[in-house]
Amino acid sequence: MIRHPLAWGAWTTAALAAAFIDRNPYLQALLLLVVINVFLPYRGRRRAGTWKFALALALVPILFSAALSRFGQHVLFTLPAVPIIGGRWTLDAVAFGASTGFALLLTVAVFAVLQTAVHSADFVAILPRPLYRAGTTVALALAFAPKTLAAFQSIREARQLRGQRTGWRSAPALLLPLLLTTLERALQYGESLDARGFGSGRRSRYRPFRWTAPDVLVVVASVTAIVAIALLPVAPYNPYLDLVPAVPNPARLLAVGLLAVPAVSASLSRVDHARHHA
Amino acid sequence: MAALLSIRPAHAAIHHAALVIQHASGSVITRCVAFAEDQITGLQLVERSGVQHEEESFGSIGAAMCQLDREPSTVPPGCFGSGPYWQYFHRQGGGWQTSAFGASSSVLRDGDMDGWHYAIGANQAPGNVAFASVCGAPAAPPAAMATNHATPVATSTPAPTASLEAVAPSASPRPDAVLASTGPPTQPPKPTPMGPWLAFGSMAILLLALGAINLRRRAP
Repeated sequence: MIRHPLAWGAWTTAALAAAFIDRNPYLQALLLLVVINVFLPYRGRRRAGTWKFALALALVPILFSAALSRFGQHVLFTLPAVPIIGGRWTLDAVAFGASTGFALLLTVAVFAVLQTAVHSADFVAILPRPLYRAGTTVALALAFAPKTLAAFQSIREARQLRGQRTGWRSAPALLLPLLLTTLERALQYGESLDARGFGSGRRSRYRPFRWTAPDVLVVVASVTAIVAIALLPVAPYNPYLDLVPAVPNPARLLAVGLLAVPAVSASLSRVDHARHHA
Repeated sequence: MAALLSIRPAHAAIHHAALVIQHASGSVITRCVAFAEDQITGLQLVERSGVQHEEESFGSIGAAMCQLDREPSTVPPGCFGSGPYWQYFHRQGGGWQTSAFGASSSVLRDGDMDGWHYAIGANQAPGNVAFASVCGAPAAPPAAMATNHATPVATSTPAPTASLEAVAPSASPRPDAVLASTGPPTQPPKPTPMGPWLAFGSMAILLLALGAINLRRRAP
């Protein structure tokens, strides 16, 4: 398993570069396969509710492109002359929207993998000294929203168990316990930061990260992929000119394939029964 | 078209692109333009064809065609007016396709063809014209090209204006003859390279196998 946050950072950068630059549908499909593979060893670690959001985000460009673009040869149907949406709806416009939507889907998927595989505390731990305090503050602030949501859901469940209403009208009765819980949590954060000597000037290191062979391999593969993706000639996909995408460049295929190294190393490693808590 | 270009020998330092202009009355004029560059814009094609034209620049958006071959007789206010306008098309395969770009940013390479049609309403493509009927057979060797262009010397050939045009004088057959030659130009079978597909297929299969292995393992 890849553990070093820097290795994950390199992988994320390479995967995002591929998602932004490669618009060839074959390359995009391969990248999605790679991202799913990298995610699989970490499934079940956290509930991944992002896929619904990602799919919704991917549908928006398809809808907009199909409804607003009047170019293209392959006409699906023609609407009467209604303002804005009237006219020819073309398959080319749908393909263009799908290509954009696919890129958005990939971006969200890459971040979802990063979020599942790495704890934000691990990223804070590798920050350089001057950024440590700011990093800790940002990490705490980012953790605040999901924790508040979880608290809200547990309060709602508690009310449901007692047979009380959970609709909009019960909002005041929900908000007060939520506020109290949040204040309580803030006090706990403060105490635990104090107990760990936050702000005392010295910084302790708990379980420092060691570079393992798979970590190094992931960094090397990711840097190679970034260079290849940036330098190799891009064949942009323009469905208005040619609906059938061009044959992908084999070198670019390989560059995307390099991003699967975390999945390969996970499949080769022993099953990690001693799951770590950061 | 790409396959046609790839098999062209290196001697083709002079490239050709075709221009088809169809008036509202239905009359068609065609021009073959020779150029030494790898590519020219649609606007350059019109400029070099010597056809009278009046365009208006819209800044970063590009230039719009207001008047072509004296149609309309005066440039309407705001370039387009409210009635018919010059619609711009590219030849793709066997048909016309509305250009996604303006003439100043569209690109023509050797063997490409542009069409203009003065019409009202969206997507009024000009009549069917084959590239070969304007510029001769695209892959013809020099000797064949010479005979091709030797046949109709000056029945309806416009006076060559650009110096490059003199190298390959264009022939404009009668409109009805041009419109009669329908159907896509014959293309040699495209050689499909297997390498990329094999790479793509094998990588997809490898990734699916990897996914199966990781799925069988206990989730952490």
